[in-house]
Amino acid sequence: MEYASIEREIHVQASPEVVFEVVSQEQHLKEWWPDDATLASATPGTTGELIWGDEDDPRAHVEAMTVVESDPPRRFVFRWTHAADEQAAPGNSLLVTFELTPSAGGTLLRMTETGFREMGWEAAVLEQAYQEHVEGWDHFIPRLGAYADRLVSSR
Amino acid sequence: MTVAIDDDLWSAVGDPTRRRMLDLLLSGGAGTATSLSEQLPVTRQAVAKHLGVLDRVGLVHATPYGREKRYEVDDEQFGRAVDQLAAVGAAWDARLNRIKRIAESIQRAQDSNTGNETDNGKR
Repeated sequence: MEYASIEREIHVQASPEVVFEVVSQEQHLKEWWPDDATLASATPGTTGELIWGDEDDPRAHVEAMTVVESDPPRRFVFRWTHAADEQAAPGNSLLVTFELTPSAGGTLLRMTETGFREMGWEAAVLEQAYQEHVEGWDHFIPRLGAYADRLVSSR
Repeated sequence: MTVAIDDDLWSAVGDPTRRRMLDLLLSGGAGTATSLSEQLPVTRQAVAKHLGVLDRVGLVHATPYGREKRYEVDDEQFGRAVDQLAAVGAAWDARLNRIKRIAESIQRAQDSNTGNETDNGKR
């Protein structure tokens, strides 16, 4: 069975060391992904939680994540969406790979997510529903940032 | 809500042979198990089985055609499958933009800190 995958890349005007911290550390994870996150360390085998919720239920939706590979500041690989009492493995979770390459004084960040199947699909769709209310801002703030970069570089 | 259907829909388009069949049906308008198997490296029986999977999730519709069935892509359901994939992609776009924003602001803070001090020769 072939699993579908999603690939994205983005240039970040920050060193690979900084970008690695942002993709792998708990305090940053919860800023760019769920409402809250726990991940004690970026060491392979470490299991954490991605948590989405609202005022009524701060843990309305919780997904497990497990670090698979950590090679700072080059590669960070983890699985998510496996059941909390299951060990993350191909077939029960989505595999996310971040690859960081130095580029033009910053970092080229490549992300691949593979393994869409029953469970991953459900998680992705649910998460999308939780995220929708913030999408508007996420869309505009980076554009403002890019605009500011252009202003600076044209001087 | 309709998550169970979405799962099936996703597994249906997750198979490369079925995706090629959908491609052929979209470009050719319609086809039978026989006409599709002539364009694919799989048997007519295998194609018929795949068509059954696509039919069950509503991605194709069958109409009787002589001794065979003639299949067409269901535009609405196909659009739904495409939209769902796009939604997952959009979620990652938003996350990566946030990663960019956070990393760049950390970097700016670090640069302005070190910029205020004299060069210690480390770099």
